[in-house]
Amino acid sequence: MRALFLGMAVGLAGLSPLGAASQFVIIEGLGGAPEYSERFADEAGRVAAAARRSSGDDANVRLLRGPEARLDNLVKVFSGLQALSPDDSLAVILIGHGTDDGEQYKFNIPGPDITAERLANLLDKIPVKRQLVVNTTSASGGAVDALKGPSRIVVSATKNGRERNATVFSRYWADAFEAPEADQDKNETITVAEAFQFAQAKVAAYFDEAKRLATEHPSIEGELAESFVLARLGASAEALNDPALRPLTAKREKLEIAIDELKLQKDAMSEEDYFNKLQALLIDLAEVQAEITAKTEGQP
Amino acid sequence: MKRWWAVTALALAALPATASVWGEEQGKRPAALEPCDASWDRGDRAAARQCYTDLLRSDDLAARAEAWWALGDVKSANEVFRDAIKAQPENPDLRVRWGYLYLQTHQEGEALALFGEALEIDEKCLPAKLGLARVFAERFEDKAQKLVDEALEANPESVEAHLLQGRLRLEVSNLAEADKSLDKALELAAAQQRSPLELYALKASVDLLRETTDSEWTKKALEYNPRYGEIYSIPARYYIITRRYREAIELYEKAVQVDPENWSAHADLGVNLLREAREQEGRKHLEIAFQGDPFSAKTVNTLRLLDSFEHFKTFSNKDLLRDEGLQPTAEDLAKPEVIVRLHEKEADLLRPYVIELADEAVASFSKKYGFTPQRPVWVELYPDHDDFAVRTMGMPGVGLLGVTFGYLVAMDSPSGRKPGSFHWGTTLWHEMAHVFTLEATDHLVPRWFSEGVSMYEEWEARPNWGEQISPDFINALQEGKLLPVADLDEGFIRPSYPNQIAVSYFQAGLICRLIDREWGTEKLVAMLTEFGKDRSTADAIRTALGVEPEEFDERFNVYLKMRLGAVAEKEGLEKWRKEWKALLEAAREKDWSAVIEKGESVKELYPDYVEAGNAYVALAQAYEEEGARDKAIAELEQYRDHGGRQPETLEKLAGWLQEADRRDDSIKTLTEVIYIWPGDEGLHVSLGEQLLAAGRSQEALREFRAALAMGPIDKAAAHYRLAEAYYKLSDRPQTRRHLLYALEAAPGYRPAQKLLLEISKN
Repeated sequence: MRALFLGMAVGLAGLSPLGAASQFVIIEGLGGAPEYSERFADEAGRVAAAARRSSGDDANVRLLRGPEARLDNLVKVFSGLQALSPDDSLAVILIGHGTDDGEQYKFNIPGPDITAERLANLLDKIPVKRQLVVNTTSASGGAVDALKGPSRIVVSATKNGRERNATVFSRYWADAFEAPEADQDKNETITVAEAFQFAQAKVAAYFDEAKRLATEHPSIEGELAESFVLARLGASAEALNDPALRPLTAKREKLEIAIDELKLQKDAMSEEDYFNKLQALLIDLAEVQAEITAKTEGQP
Repeated sequence: MKRWWAVTALALAALPATASVWGEEQGKRPAALEPCDASWDRGDRAAARQCYTDLLRSDDLAARAEAWWALGDVKSANEVFRDAIKAQPENPDLRVRWGYLYLQTHQEGEALALFGEALEIDEKCLPAKLGLARVFAERFEDKAQKLVDEALEANPESVEAHLLQGRLRLEVSNLAEADKSLDKALELAAAQQRSPLELYALKASVDLLRETTDSEWTKKALEYNPRYGEIYSIPARYYIITRRYREAIELYEKAVQVDPENWSAHADLGVNLLREAREQEGRKHLEIAFQGDPFSAKTVNTLRLLDSFEHFKTFSNKDLLRDEGLQPTAEDLAKPEVIVRLHEKEADLLRPYVIELADEAVASFSKKYGFTPQRPVWVELYPDHDDFAVRTMGMPGVGLLGVTFGYLVAMDSPSGRKPGSFHWGTTLWHEMAHVFTLEATDHLVPRWFSEGVSMYEEWEARPNWGEQISPDFINALQEGKLLPVADLDEGFIRPSYPNQIAVSYFQAGLICRLIDREWGTEKLVAMLTEFGKDRSTADAIRTALGVEPEEFDERFNVYLKMRLGAVAEKEGLEKWRKEWKALLEAAREKDWSAVIEKGESVKELYPDYVEAGNAYVALAQAYEEEGARDKAIAELEQYRDHGGRQPETLEKLAGWLQEADRRDDSIKTLTEVIYIWPGDEGLHVSLGEQLLAAGRSQEALREFRAALAMGPIDKAAAHYRLAEAYYKLSDRPQTRRHLLYALEAAPGYRPAQKLLLEISKN
């Protein structure tokens, strides 16, 4: 959790990392059977809707399904994204079935499947420095090695290519976009790390409740998960971008850093001393936040 | 057939191999063993061992195998038997003897296979049939009776067959007939110069079940063989069957005193001490048993379970109020103690609910049955069903939900089963009723009455608790398979058709309900009092109810017809099935008007049916689709009130009730879900929030604590809710504590910030 706080502090200081993913590409693969086709369509639709709410601009969200999910079209779409700037961010979400023969992972789409290597090659050509690939398919763990990279977070529903059962991860990933409980630090943004922890816990609970041996174990690779904002739940963006509020947000940032530093010293302090000091900082922070809220929302 | 030994040879010292003085009915043995067997049979073990040791050099493989076995080296015995059978593959007696070796080392499957092979060689092989009968008798399977009958027909002079007949009769407490069989066996044994020891032990068992504890047969046996520990451990088995564990412990203690090498008695003593919550003593005897007989899965499993207790926590009801920050009253402190043992991973979640319900049961039953527990009542919940099974039977794979051994209740935890498949509240209530029926009668209550009271009490506890009458029970009723009340115990102990035990549960419960409704609750208590005097069912009915059992059965039939209504009439079940199928078809086609039309009739025919595809849920969906939410709510309320248990359906109902501004009903519905599937964080949050809004802050606190105990992803919100509840209870220190926890996790959490500012200003 410490990393989460530091990540947030860095984000506050630099501002730009706090912007939610600027571009979303959601690819709905083949269902094969009606029950899967319906399920994948529903989940892809929910992820796309949440992404549109988060992005604020429908044009930034591409839901590719049916013929649009064919390989030739994917190449076209990703080629178009090469025009993005390095400061943009890109989230690619795969929903459907995947296969892994031990040599190669393939995402099942209409026409020829797309391999992990091919997808990685397409993404490598996009200059965006912060990329996210969320692969919710069966056997998706088999794609991680091919997809991972220094500026890319790779989330997969399974830990390797041998977990071949249809997954439930995608439904919980979709839920994470709008679940207040996923926002663990209550900053009204859902980071990739928070969404992953939420979905991972829900998957574990699903198998536990069903009294079934878990057939999928989600994994995450990459170092930017704590600062990569996936969705925004509140109106904090306006506050952060309002120059008139900059002194208050700077004060808030200082207090947050002080709280983080105090937490690091917790084990070396008596409980009473720690909580007294924490309370003082938290009251200051609450007062600053109340001022910001009053100015942005017109009420304390 | 592949046979192997799971563990290396460890001496099974002093195991009483079948002596030649026992004749050939457990398989013919070489004559060279006779002097050794005779010494063993009289308790001169030193002489016997020397004699068997001398036989280890014998050229006769069968004699050598028996000698190794008698000396406790079962691995060598096994190898020599294998060689002996290679040399004489068509000898059925060798296979029978080898089968008995497997039987003694707890490998019943292998024993059954060997007895079966002997019968393939010689279909008239009586020792093989009797061997099979022994195995089935151990398992309480009714095949044993058929085999014994066949054996007696083939050889009316068979001591073993009469002995087994006596055993089977003893197990159903038919003491007069058991006596006859055993007397006949004794007469034959004397004529055939056979060892009388096992017969003495069974005769002592008959005396014991007639409350004669100082049996002449015990004396005779010990005079015959002073080291014959089975003279105590065999009768103890019949105490166990009748659930008189305390008395059984005393006998097992005597058994190991007389014969410290009686490993099975040590194991049984250990297991039964555990049933009395005497864990240290129990472990000691189980460890002794393991040293002597490492082949017993029951011993090994139970020792492993004991080791796992380090991951369980125990709590007393005496501490609960204090732990919740409340001051116990003198009345609270005076109530009987209940101690619960819960797995550490769910202890904090379940503790308040389990203790509260157990306390309520103790108070309710103490008043009703005029009996107060004389010792603390232990309640154990196991998240792993196999642990529960080991706790109760020593073996995994038991299909039970809960078991009561007197003052100890063991049961599945709700987390041990799929949500909706198990109502832990009604199961605990059922088991707590057993505590009273067993202890108030000193464990003399017959099984049917104890189960009957427990079923009846489940139905009495809450309007929607208890098992709903199953189609199997209705089938049994229509096919005339219900037993007369005087014989109802047979339905539990020796069922004769599939599901008879489940059918007997319903019958026993409905009988108790009939007594309550027609004769009055005090007569139910009077029946219990009669059983405490060791009266038979027939006598208890005559004395307490003033009717003959036959008349009672007639009145019960009338009551059943009235209680079950149309579905119990001739072809009623068929009619319901046909209409139900049409309803399901209409629901599948989403033909909602047809669902509404057919659903009402299906419901009316069989209102107790709340399992998958029930009419209530189908109707609720149909009304919802038609935009009639009020009617949909009414259907789901009926579903709930008839005992419907699917958590998601009940939670949907609670949500609709909340939307309809019926908060109290929503709270009632969610409270019900806690007794079915408490492992849902959202349930506790939703219930807590509604309780808080209703001004029931103390109850809300419990729900918010439960939510926190589940290790939520969103810890900040969990602590904030607790802070809110404490704030409403004016508990400033706890409010501050939980606010700081919430804000420590999420410093920018605005509702928590607001409350912090508020309490800081005040």
